[in-house]
Amino acid sequence: MISRRHFFHRTSGAFLGSGLGAMLAADGRILAAAHHPPRVRSVIFLFMCGGVSHLDTFDPKGNKHAGKLIDAIGFGDNVAEMKRPVIPCFRTFTAHGKSGIPASDWFPHVGSVIDNIAVVRSLWCHEGNHFPAVIETQTGHRGRAFDHASLGAWVSYALGTANRNLPTFVNIGRPSSPVQLTGGYLGASHAATPFQAGEVPIPNLVAPKGSVPAERERQMEVLARLNAEFRERHALNSDIAARSQAYELAARMQLHAPAAVSFDTEPSHVREMYGIGPEATDEFGKQLLLARRLAEQGVRFIQICHAGGGNGAWDAHGDIKTHEPLCRATDKPLAGLIRDLKQRGMLESTLVVWTSEFGRSPWSQNITGRDHNPKGYTSWLAGGGIKGGTVHGATDEFGYQAVENRHYYSDLHATVLHLLGLDYKKMFVEAMGRTFHLVEEGSGPIRAILS
Amino acid sequence: MKFAGLLAILTMPLAAANVKLWSLEKVTRPPVPTGATHPIDAFLSVMHRQKGLVAAPPADKATLLRRVHLDLTGLPPTPAEQAAFLTDTSPEAYEKVVDRLLASEQHGVRYARHWLDVLRYADADERMYAAPGIHLWRDWVIYALNSDMPYDQFVRTMLTGHRTTARTQISAIGVRIRLEPRPEDLFARGFLARGAVVRDNKDTQELPIVAVETVSTAFMGITVGCAKCHDHMYDPVTQRDFYRMKALFDPLVIRKIPLATPADIMARAKANDRLAAERAAVEGPLEALAKPYREKLYQERIAMLPPEAQVIIRKSERTRTVEEQKIADDYFPVLRIDTGPLQEAMPAADRTRFKELQQKLAQIASREPELPAFWTVEYDSKRATEPSYMLVSGEPERPLKDKPVEPGWPFAPQEIDFRDGRIEAFSDWLTAPENPLFARVAVNRLWQWHFGEGLHRTPSDFGAHGGDPDHRGLIDWLASEFTANNFSMRRMHKLIVMSDAYRRATVTDRPTMESNLRIDSGNVYLATMRLRRLEAEPIWDSILAAANDLDVTIGGPSFDLPGAEPPRRVSRPVRRAPAATNRRGAYIVRGFSTSRDIVPNFLQAFDVEDGRLPCPLRTRTVTPPQSLFLMNSDHVDQSATKLAERLRKESGGDLKAAVDLAYRIVLGRGASAAESDHGVTYLAGDAARLKGLAWLLFNLDEFVFVQ
Repeated sequence: MISRRHFFHRTSGAFLGSGLGAMLAADGRILAAAHHPPRVRSVIFLFMCGGVSHLDTFDPKGNKHAGKLIDAIGFGDNVAEMKRPVIPCFRTFTAHGKSGIPASDWFPHVGSVIDNIAVVRSLWCHEGNHFPAVIETQTGHRGRAFDHASLGAWVSYALGTANRNLPTFVNIGRPSSPVQLTGGYLGASHAATPFQAGEVPIPNLVAPKGSVPAERERQMEVLARLNAEFRERHALNSDIAARSQAYELAARMQLHAPAAVSFDTEPSHVREMYGIGPEATDEFGKQLLLARRLAEQGVRFIQICHAGGGNGAWDAHGDIKTHEPLCRATDKPLAGLIRDLKQRGMLESTLVVWTSEFGRSPWSQNITGRDHNPKGYTSWLAGGGIKGGTVHGATDEFGYQAVENRHYYSDLHATVLHLLGLDYKKMFVEAMGRTFHLVEEGSGPIRAILS
Repeated sequence: MKFAGLLAILTMPLAAANVKLWSLEKVTRPPVPTGATHPIDAFLSVMHRQKGLVAAPPADKATLLRRVHLDLTGLPPTPAEQAAFLTDTSPEAYEKVVDRLLASEQHGVRYARHWLDVLRYADADERMYAAPGIHLWRDWVIYALNSDMPYDQFVRTMLTGHRTTARTQISAIGVRIRLEPRPEDLFARGFLARGAVVRDNKDTQELPIVAVETVSTAFMGITVGCAKCHDHMYDPVTQRDFYRMKALFDPLVIRKIPLATPADIMARAKANDRLAAERAAVEGPLEALAKPYREKLYQERIAMLPPEAQVIIRKSERTRTVEEQKIADDYFPVLRIDTGPLQEAMPAADRTRFKELQQKLAQIASREPELPAFWTVEYDSKRATEPSYMLVSGEPERPLKDKPVEPGWPFAPQEIDFRDGRIEAFSDWLTAPENPLFARVAVNRLWQWHFGEGLHRTPSDFGAHGGDPDHRGLIDWLASEFTANNFSMRRMHKLIVMSDAYRRATVTDRPTMESNLRIDSGNVYLATMRLRRLEAEPIWDSILAAANDLDVTIGGPSFDLPGAEPPRRVSRPVRRAPAATNRRGAYIVRGFSTSRDIVPNFLQAFDVEDGRLPCPLRTRTVTPPQSLFLMNSDHVDQSATKLAERLRKESGGDLKAAVDLAYRIVLGRGASAAESDHGVTYLAGDAARLKGLAWLLFNLDEFVFVQ
């Protein structure tokens, strides 16, 4: 664990990317919002794009209602009465670990680390379509009237960087919506820097072909001399100060980011844990290993968008079986990440969140598919400050509505902030003449899953 | 008189809150204070004296020339233009430059980009009907600005398609007929058509909502977006106002206008016949292949239903009771058979065949030649007879049937004369010289584009949030000047850039700077000119211009930058952008899609948004990805090569001259003695290092900042 003092020291001493907002954050203006010692230093936020079926993964309901027509009133845009037939669930569930928490046969590996995980089965949000629901779950606000910032941007804004060589908020994988990357009214300097697993994690990181490193070094020296007079003349201008810092970070990223993202030093058994190699798990495995490497090096918020683009591949309207390859692609890497963090002693200082914009309906669409369901769904958390082996909340007997310990999605945001040492009530920004919070609805951190 | 109602609103008690908005008060032309020749300076100098600020001296000629060039055209001055200005010692030297730049066609390109940020231009927005041909709207805006179309006409044409408020005329035999709008003004309506989009495979019916949001922020300076779901918390805009305004646009439908020549159309007819025959040859076998499987699946699915439901489903539609039909409808989603399950039901050989045939169909569809077209909006008289309602959460599918609304708008007069049409009535009110918001909001935008910040600092929010402006007198004087001069934007540009305030240096002696900063930390009163980071487009253009590689052709489709990932699935054929990437940055593609990034990395890095929301003021960040672009991108690398070649040729082998020339080309000024020494030392007598020199200049702070 990191003491508040140590934490503050690291942050305020660090150089921050860019722009005035970020520099103020480094100066601790926002850190004043950190009202308690943080439990974790970094967050790995895993967003399954399209809406994962809780019913086929972590919220088993049995099949006693299969074939019955149930009342889907209040679903989506239907204000009129609407009946829909419940479809059978073809998964088998196994109780795992000491806690005996069930996971379906699509997630055996996650099941094997379930004692580290707290499963929340009672999340809900308002929006029932992808685009608005992603906005809502990512920014805590509905609609596009204001340029709301995403969760990762808020964390960047509030805490600044812990590694002067890398950005504060990184996104890996294609999102469903740019909203997942936006710095919004917090400024573009808090937007996600998109990384990809591979040799060149961000655009223009590598000097053009034919450029000689020694020559570039010489150029950088001359550049400093040629900039000197201009910088002296505009010494009172914060943009100019920010620019020299941006060049320093850019140069440091050019120098350090390739090593930060390289797997060369990762032994084969670690790669194997993440499922790197076999085709099914290779891509997600690499993304998770990259996430761990970035967390290790102090990147605060690493977001991974899985199966994004369009509505997201988890959007199983046609056939719930389209979940199967997605589960296979993610199951082993997810368990590998948790094991790897644990064996490195990093699980205590890292928070892993597995989530989605909404769940899926108990009734069928196209007989084998499931429709959207924002009224009750599941996410899970693991890592520092999380009480592993916990199940919290419940949906109704069909798995339609959250009925027990209901949590509006913002409670998940409040939980993330809480573990980072931030009080959601005290974290806000004045923009466009208004005061905006990330969390404006709900009941605050989900305390029942905190250790 | 038609606008009599307008004045009534000024004294009318405001609906939702007891707020007095200064922006709704009548514009009274204030007397110009004494103490300076130029009225703008007269207003500012009063503030300087009051606050104890000391104005900076004028910028030197080279700095001023680069500033006004980049401001008015977005392009840097060439060495020849610099020489001409520096040697012209006449008192009118600067004014001549201003006139030349305002008359240049590139001025329209630069300012169109500013307007299009506010008006939400995008080449793509999910599935946007108007996407093919939308650039013609951009071309129209460029044309309008270059022809100095008066601002009221500029707005009116985008709203109604007509420049004037006269829309009909009476013929010699006493028949009233509609006036034909000017043909090119058709393209102005891309403004409204752009709002029609399909998201999640659903027509979102966003057009009227988007119209309200854009029109109210852009031209009225009132943010009504949050009145969509509840009464606007601070401003006198009610939820009802929002939906009344939406009702103005409810009757609009979008329509495709073919722009092809008759010869193109006939050529396509033949091609279509061939394709139709090809399609028929595939569709027949495809259907024959699929039919038995579909029937089998259908029967299987029915068999899975509860027995009573099966009985109902098996009945023909005609024999079902109303209740039975309702149950059958509920089961419809279960019984619909998509191609996925259909393929799964087939043995491998049939599945392969099925896929082959489907691919063939897709391949045929992709060969359908696309004819040039433009999407416009049209007033649908049938729709106009349907009532408009308030909506739940602004969702078009959820009308509140017990809350119908009549067309109208915030601050509208009690009685509105709709005889000319709904949007026409609104547009006449909006663009009337008496409307206090219209001119105020506009002059403030123009000011912002010259100085980096508006006199009123929230350019799209003149409501209660924006607060009282620090420059009320100056805004009102400019607004009345704008109105009195027939809304000529060019005249306002000239007025502003001719002021001393605009021509000031960005720095002065240190004690004065520190003292000014203490008194006015935000430089609200402009004792010095603001130092500004260049926007993405002028950076792009300046790099190409230095390399002598900039194509300044006006208009045309947008172009994409290499490196963008291809779309995953193309739901409608996308017109291929021309491959050349050396056109002005104003034409770089922007927009939004859930399946891929549309806005190229370069634009994203330099704070260009995707055009989904009105962007009244771009953020100006200074970030590492920007530095990486300037350090390592192909664009800079290739341009550095070309600039080096240019330096070699134009300096005649004299490296000291090459250094000086490089400074003139890239920074618009000669090199100082120290810079010349550093440059020559760097080159170390080796002309091969000129590329390195070019790189250095592109990476200087001074290159991306305007002083």
